[in-house]
Amino acid sequence: MNHVGARHRPIDWAARSAGRVSYSGDVKLEGLLEGAILRSPHPHAKIRSIDTTKALRMPGVHAVVTSADLPRGARYFHEGEKDRAPLADGIVRFVGEEVAAVAAETRAQAYAVLRLIDVDYELLTPALDVRAALKPGTNALHARATGEANVSRRVLRQWGDAAKGRNIGTVSVSGTYHFPRQAHVCMEAMVSVAQWDEAEKRLHFWTTTQAPYYVVREVTQVLGLAAGQVVCHEVGVGGGFGAKSKICDVEVIAGLLARAARRPVRVKLSREEEFETTKTRHAFETAMRLHADTSGRLRAIDASVTVENGAYNHSGASVMSAGLKGLGMMYRPEGVELSGQLIDTSMQPGGSFRGYGTTQTSFALECLMDELAEKLGLDPFELRIRNANQPGETTLVGARLGSARLVECLNAARKAIDWDAEKAQRRPGRGVGVAAGVHVSGSFTEPGANRSDAAIDIFPDSRVRVRFGGADAGTGQKTIMAQIAAQELGVAYEAVDVLTIDSERTPFDMGSWSSRGTHFAGHAVRKCALETASRLKALAALKLGEGALRLEDGTVKSDSGSIALGELARLSNESMDGVLSVETSYVDPVMELPDKETGRSNISASYNFATHAAVVEVDRRTGQIRIIDYVAAHDIGTSINPTLIEGQTIGGVVMGLGVALGEAMIHEQGKMVNGAYLSYAMPRSADMPRIRPIMIEGGDPNGPYGAKAIGECSINPPAAVIANAVYDAIGVRIHDLPITPDKILRALAEKEGRTRRHRIWARPSRWWIALVRQSYPLGLLKLLHGRSAPPATCTDPAPLKEVATPDSLPAALVALNGTAVLMGGGTDVQLRRRQRLIEPETLVALRGVAGLKEIGTTADGWVEIGTATSLAALATAMRSRVPMIAEAIDTIASPQIRQMATLGGNLIQEKRCWFYRGGFNCFKRRGGLAPCYAIAGDHRFHHNAIDGHRCQAVTPSDLATVLLALEAQAVIVSPAGERTVPMADFYTGPGETVVKPDEILRTIRIPPSALSRKGAFTKLRLWEGDFAIVSAAITVQLDAAGRWQAPRIVLGALASTPWRAFDTERRLAGQAVTAASLRRALDAELDAKGHPLARNAWKLDAAAGIAEAATEVILARREAVGG
Amino acid sequence: MQAAWRDVMPKPRQVTVNGVTREVMVAPGTSLLEVLHDILGLTGTKEACGRGECGACTVLIDGQPVMSCISLIEDVRGPVTTIEGIADDHTDLREAFADCGAFQCGFCTPGQIVRAAALLREPWPENAADVETFIHTAMSGNICRCTGYTGIVDAVMRTGASRGKLGGRVS
Repeated sequence: MNHVGARHRPIDWAARSAGRVSYSGDVKLEGLLEGAILRSPHPHAKIRSIDTTKALRMPGVHAVVTSADLPRGARYFHEGEKDRAPLADGIVRFVGEEVAAVAAETRAQAYAVLRLIDVDYELLTPALDVRAALKPGTNALHARATGEANVSRRVLRQWGDAAKGRNIGTVSVSGTYHFPRQAHVCMEAMVSVAQWDEAEKRLHFWTTTQAPYYVVREVTQVLGLAAGQVVCHEVGVGGGFGAKSKICDVEVIAGLLARAARRPVRVKLSREEEFETTKTRHAFETAMRLHADTSGRLRAIDASVTVENGAYNHSGASVMSAGLKGLGMMYRPEGVELSGQLIDTSMQPGGSFRGYGTTQTSFALECLMDELAEKLGLDPFELRIRNANQPGETTLVGARLGSARLVECLNAARKAIDWDAEKAQRRPGRGVGVAAGVHVSGSFTEPGANRSDAAIDIFPDSRVRVRFGGADAGTGQKTIMAQIAAQELGVAYEAVDVLTIDSERTPFDMGSWSSRGTHFAGHAVRKCALETASRLKALAALKLGEGALRLEDGTVKSDSGSIALGELARLSNESMDGVLSVETSYVDPVMELPDKETGRSNISASYNFATHAAVVEVDRRTGQIRIIDYVAAHDIGTSINPTLIEGQTIGGVVMGLGVALGEAMIHEQGKMVNGAYLSYAMPRSADMPRIRPIMIEGGDPNGPYGAKAIGECSINPPAAVIANAVYDAIGVRIHDLPITPDKILRALAEKEGRTRRHRIWARPSRWWIALVRQSYPLGLLKLLHGRSAPPATCTDPAPLKEVATPDSLPAALVALNGTAVLMGGGTDVQLRRRQRLIEPETLVALRGVAGLKEIGTTADGWVEIGTATSLAALATAMRSRVPMIAEAIDTIASPQIRQMATLGGNLIQEKRCWFYRGGFNCFKRRGGLAPCYAIAGDHRFHHNAIDGHRCQAVTPSDLATVLLALEAQAVIVSPAGERTVPMADFYTGPGETVVKPDEILRTIRIPPSALSRKGAFTKLRLWEGDFAIVSAAITVQLDAAGRWQAPRIVLGALASTPWRAFDTERRLAGQAVTAASLRRALDAELDAKGHPLARNAWKLDAAAGIAEAATEVILARREAVGG
Repeated sequence: MQAAWRDVMPKPRQVTVNGVTREVMVAPGTSLLEVLHDILGLTGTKEACGRGECGACTVLIDGQPVMSCISLIEDVRGPVTTIEGIADDHTDLREAFADCGAFQCGFCTPGQIVRAAALLREPWPENAADVETFIHTAMSGNICRCTGYTGIVDAVMRTGASRGKLGGRVS
């Protein structure tokens, strides 16, 4: 059986797919306490004092720790620069920095007790971005070796002869490219369980990690323990992507709490904490110039990168350096001249992230390669082929290439995407793009990083166990190690177990980072397995004679007989209790540490190349990009398990497409504002096409079985592929990721010379608002913000006394009592409780109320819908009667949420403004003179462009938009009786309604006239299931000639409440409307009535575009029956 | 008006999980996820967001997929089925997940499997050409950060095909 190269299932597939793998958060320990971390609400402040006495007195509290409980001066030692304390030591440098921690009986208690710790801060002026950090006179966050305030590191790299290259390269292109912070968003948030063994004086960990080596090393030194006192145990690891490739920010705190409490403690970050406080991908600004000769040979690359470090160093200098090295690996210019500066800001620190700097610089390089191709009149593939590195070459950075199949990748991608046909067809709005990438297979960055050990046990029952010190965060090393052991020992794949992470029983390995897993685990296990095999053969030879021996079927065989491996193990005088254990050490023979002066070296043992290509369609009306096809060709050496290689490829592509299309961490006043799956636009299943991986095989001389790495290279090309394809489709080049619809529409408007004139000067009712908005960036925001409490991340709801579950409407009204909060499906109520927007004692659940889930038709033809009807049930009931209701519901959230959420809850849900929801003490949270953070903050997507006043939020309900277009009514009941309110009067503000605290929204009524109208609902959003950026619901009565009678045109998410385009309705009434005629009328009205914020004028274009799309749906439905 | 923690009295609640009715003593408003994971020890159901946004905690109530992290125990109105109650009856689906590269770290996998198990009982499009898009959309409530989704969609399609669903038949 050939195990290497086989598509074996993941080693623990049965347990993993059945939920039986124990992750850190699943570990059951007697007396387990829950930890919670008090975090700085300020971006930069001195801590005058911390008072924990009140917290310590609370029942259920077992420990409260601060930096005073750490050894004096304890610091993490990332990159040797000890600039960060595990708990803030006298100063905080970013919002969310750890200040104190609590261990209590329950999670709710632990979080509640945090509020009782008093910290006295002296505020310092923060530098919240690179520009502020570099402004003369700005406070330095740290004393740095550069001697320059807030410049953590400068680096200058000159490889080859760039000056000569510039002389020959008479054609040049240049540009500045921005790559944002990206969040890892591991599905398992950071979690660490620690237990202090007082008898043995040892600290045990069950912790989510890619590198137990660093956890043990750092916890030991930070807590002042001795070697051997810190132990890691094996757990499942729920994703890494670099987030866990060094120690994280929870292990030391968990250990400290466990030691203080003398009980095991679990510190598990909430999703909000995970987003807002853990290390991120570094944002890069890359200014680059390429010089080429007229034959299409790249001659020189000049680049300067500015990297935002955040508050602490972590991997910043090495990420910056790796990003520059990538520019010296891919192509063959005469020389490169690269400079970098790493800038400290009072922000979430950056850290290692899949791609490690090369992702950021590749985006610039590969966009510019396309610009160069255009300037030279060359095909983009051809240009790359002419400049590709060849096998055996030493690149500018010193990489000695064994195998290098970039040209093969380029050819394969070109063919697979059908490049020539796509180029020949030139369909409007459709484009095709390409980009290449390169990455290492491990890097020799510090002593030990070129070595990996492995051990193998042969048990008496002939089972085999591999012991390896690294960790498998989902990237498949455990599986390939089992395959390799099975291969070399001649046993069944199923006969091999693999133990990782366990720091007591596994030998030395530095962990899974820098795409080193396959190279090091592969070589180390292969070497150990070969050594084990030779010992087994030697033992067998004693019995079977010296003839040809082979390992097969769990035995050593000769022509004369066979002996089971377990039997042989028992025979060995090295075995213990019949177990033969062999441990070997693999030291890579070709990797070199970088030269300190030049940064050059053969840093890795092998180098992997890739080419990706995609076809996209760009909707010029909405700015939305749809990926039609995506291929990813990778130079992988040989594949040890093709399924795993394809998985790493596709996963990396989609993570790369995330930042190409939507992902960016957005901050305001130093605090992340989109730190939730809901508002961080990462890809969902429906957003992604089928990704087609292409494996270019051919062994590398230095890889195990010829294999090279795959884990990171796949994330490098996607951003440039999409940027290049978008340019091909619509002729605008976006330099700033992610390429969201706002950037497309703004660029198109600019290119086509379109501007909207809103004539605010002629609209006195808008003067005051316009003045306030203009004053915000000029100091008003700073003033109002300074008077407010700092934003707080809330993830713990206030306790409830009761959840009432009445079975009748009268009982529900009694339970409501004017103070309780009603709950339909609870999907928004639970979130609002968590966000501390509501703190009720009692919730009243409506799903059990008789009659509230019924849908019926009255004698005079009205459709009446009970408001506790789930969205899923409503969609089913309306799909043929009022299709636009079902179509709108299909765009809402997820199937699970549609199952739970109710019609009433959807209509009454609160505004979804990121700031309001995210703990900012804004006007709507605090009233009075509190500011609206959306005015100067990021309001591109979910704020109003018409009619804004103090609050810029919009009504988020899509059904509100639809029901207004259907002229529906709401029936509201109270102890005093019932009243009927037209949808037009239902909303009083963004997500605010006429329903009073003692009332229940009972029924939605749709008039018979609406049922005979044609209607359509269309929506622009960032990801499948997201709230509308803007939506359109249009209903019309079509007469026999196809003319629109009494049209109702409603735009959602554009104004504070669903907004009817009355002028447009009037102008189109009685007309045979086309998309173009609607657009003309609507554009005029949006010009006259719009009052966009500084960065959301594009929403007016998008609104007109989405309304055009709705019009087309109606026109297409003209002949159809119903709807 | 906000209640203080000392006012909160645990109360007995009954919940039927995987066919067994259990009684638990919990504070009002305790989530179904907490009951399953921390009290009943059914750790296959995972918390990844606690906000109903990612699908890792998906369980079935009355056979319908819901987010257990935002389901309050008082409002659970039917029998609950978790991954532990589903795994043995869906070996084909789990094998397809393993064969198609539908999981890597495995943290979201129980939720994916539970969601997919429910999807395999729902009607599928009549037209086989629409099935891939249908599954891409239907699985969108379950976020996966590792696989890029292609393997998940393939696994669900393969299982559907072997269960005779590609003809649009409702099983």
